[in-house]
Amino acid sequence: MTVATHNIDAGSVAYTPPFLLELYRKMVVIREFEDGVKFLFLEGSMPGTIHQCQGQEATAVGVCAALRGDDFITSTFRGHGHALAKGLTVNELLFELFGASTGCCAGKGGSMHVGNMDKGMVPGIAIVAGGVPLAAGMGLAFKMQKSPQIVACFFGDGAVAEGAFHEGINLAAIWNLPVIFVCENNLYGASTRIDKVMKIPVVAERAKSYGIRGQTVDGNDVLKVYEATLHAADECRRGQGPVLLELLTYRRTGHSRRDPCHYQPKDEREQWAMHDPIDRFGKFLVQRGEIDEAGMQVIRTTVISEFNASVAEARRQPMPTVGDLTTDVFAPAAEDRS
Amino acid sequence: MRFEMKMPDLATTDSPVRVVRWMAAPGQSVRRGEPLLEVETDKATMDVESVVNGVLTEIVTKLNETASAGELIAVLEVAESAVPVVASTAPASPGASPATAPIAPAPTGKPGGMFARNRQSAQAAAVKIEASGVIPLSVASRTAARRLQESKQTVPHFYLQTSANAEPMIARRAAVAPQKLVWDAFFVLAVAKAIQKFERMAYRFEAEQLVKQDADAVGVAVDIDGELYVVPIAAPAGKTPQQISDELQAAVRGLRDGDPQFKRLRPARVTVSNLGSCNVESFIPIINPPESAILGVGKIMPTPVAKDMSVSVQQRVALTLAVDHRVVSGRYAGDFLSAIVQELELS
Repeated sequence: MTVATHNIDAGSVAYTPPFLLELYRKMVVIREFEDGVKFLFLEGSMPGTIHQCQGQEATAVGVCAALRGDDFITSTFRGHGHALAKGLTVNELLFELFGASTGCCAGKGGSMHVGNMDKGMVPGIAIVAGGVPLAAGMGLAFKMQKSPQIVACFFGDGAVAEGAFHEGINLAAIWNLPVIFVCENNLYGASTRIDKVMKIPVVAERAKSYGIRGQTVDGNDVLKVYEATLHAADECRRGQGPVLLELLTYRRTGHSRRDPCHYQPKDEREQWAMHDPIDRFGKFLVQRGEIDEAGMQVIRTTVISEFNASVAEARRQPMPTVGDLTTDVFAPAAEDRS
Repeated sequence: MRFEMKMPDLATTDSPVRVVRWMAAPGQSVRRGEPLLEVETDKATMDVESVVNGVLTEIVTKLNETASAGELIAVLEVAESAVPVVASTAPASPGASPATAPIAPAPTGKPGGMFARNRQSAQAAAVKIEASGVIPLSVASRTAARRLQESKQTVPHFYLQTSANAEPMIARRAAVAPQKLVWDAFFVLAVAKAIQKFERMAYRFEAEQLVKQDADAVGVAVDIDGELYVVPIAAPAGKTPQQISDELQAAVRGLRDGDPQFKRLRPARVTVSNLGSCNVESFIPIINPPESAILGVGKIMPTPVAKDMSVSVQQRVALTLAVDHRVVSGRYAGDFLSAIVQELELS
C-alpha cells in the first residue's frame, strides 16, 4: 500500500471559500479534541480507555460534509471524529466522555458509544462490523418509507473479514438499499496489518462480488472524500445503491490509549505523517489564497480555547444518579411514536 | 504551582503498572507531550507523556516500583496556575504529533546503550525493593513461572543420568581461544548431532499425537539477573563450536541490555541447561515446553575411573536428561543420551 503524495486540487468543482474553511476548521476541531482528550486520559480525568482518530480526520469530515442533515451515519468504537463531523458539539461529546448525565448519551455510552439520533448519528457500535447489518436495516426502512434519506456506515479494515460485513452488504446489495459503506482502511485492525488477513490488496474490490460499485479514494484528501461521497449519495438517492467506498488513511496513535503501537514500522509512520490530512489541506488553502499561516494559527488557537472551556464545563457537569438507571432502557413501540 | 502526576490507567486488567525508566531527573524541565517515563503494563511497555510543561521536582514511584492507576507517581512544578489541560505545547504544525525525543541526553556509543542504562538503574533500585520484603516480578519472570509450573505438573518427566569424558572437549577448547569459547557450545553441538540420529526427539506431544517441531534449534537456558530465558541456536548441527559460542554470547549481551528482540519467545527442540560454573555436580532440570527433553550439565571434575582392573583419574562431566515420556520411551532416550556422550567424547 502506497501513500498518496499528490497535492490536493479542487478539480472542476466550484467550492466556496466558507465551505472550504469550514472543512479545515472541522478537521482541526477533531485533531485538537483528540489530542486534548489524550492528556485528560493521561492525567486521570477521563475514565476508561479511548480509541482515537488522529490522522483520519479527512474521512469523517469529507463524508459527513457530503450528507444532508437528516441523513444518518453509523459509527464504531473510534467515533469521536464521526460525531464532531456529523454536527455533535464538543460539549455534548466531552460531557459524555466524562460520564456526565448531560452528555450526548446521558453519560451511559461513553467514548465507544457516542451519538445523537436527532443529529443523524446512531450511537457508536463498538462490535467490529456490528454497524454494517444495522445500516442495511436502516436503509431498508428508508426505502420502505420512500424517504430520500441515506445511511453512511463507517467501519475499519478489520471489519471486512467479519461475517456481519458480508451479510449486511449482501442484503443491501440485493435490495438496492441507500447505504454508503465507508471502509476507513487505516492498514491495521488493532495490531494486525491488513495484508496478514486479506489476500487481495484492495478492499473496494470486494464490491464486485456483491454486484455493487466500489471505489478506493485517498482518505487523507478531504475533497476527494467529499466528492466520492457526494457521488455515492446521489446514486443511493436514485435507488442505485449501495456503494462501497474505501478511504485509505492512517492512524497516528495506538489502537487504544493502552496500545503503544510498536507494530507500526517507523518509516511507515513517518511516510504517512508527511501526508497528514490537515497539513495537506492547509497547504491547498494557502496556495488557493483562502487563508495564510497566521489565519490557520488563529483557527487552531480558537479551537483549543473552545476545547479548554468545554473541559472546564465538563468538570462541573452532574453525574447520572441511581434513578437514571432505568431511564433510556426501552424505546417506545413504533405505533406509539405517531 | 505544584502538579501531581498520577499513574495513567494503562493496564488492561487493572493490575499495577511498573516504572522501567524515568527519562527526566528531578530538576529537569519537561514539556507537555514529551515522553517522561516508560512503564511496563500487563500487556506491553510504553512511553508515558508529560501532561504539563514544568519542572520535575520529585519522583515518587522509583524505578522498578509499581503503582496502580491514579496513584501519585511524580510531582512537577508548573508555571501556569490554570488547569493542566491548557494546551501550550510547542507551536508545532496542526498535524504534528507530540515530540518523541527523549528528554534525557541521548545515549551515546554502541547500540543498546539506552537499554543498558535501564538495566543499570534497575539493578540499583532492586536493593531497596528487597528490603521491603516483596519482590515484584517482571512480565518475563511471571511468564517463566507459569510455564515451568505447567511443565512440571502436566509433562510426565523421566530422568536418565550418565557422565562423559570431558578431556577431548578440554583439549579442543584449549586449541582455540579458551576465553572466548563457552562450554555450552560443545553441548549444543552434541545435542544437535544426536537429534539428527534420533529424530523423534525433534517432536512434541500435542493433541494426542506427535508433531514435529519446525524450528531446527537447540536452546540454551540463561539467567539474566535472575530472569530466565532460553536462547535458541538455529540449525546448530551445521555450525562450529565457535559460531555457536559467538551467537550465544551475542544473545546474552542483547538480553542483558534489555533489547526486546532477544526477549521474544522462540521454540527449540531440546534445551541445554548448564550449572557447571556454579559448582553443581549434577541436577535435574525441568523441560521447557513444548520441547521433548532438557539436558542438565554439571561441572567438569576429576573423577576416578576404573578401567582394565586399574583406577585412574579423568576429567568427567555429569549429564542428566529429563525427557517427556509421551514423546519417547526410556530405551530410545537412553540411546539418544549415549549419542550425545559419543559426540562429546569425539577428539
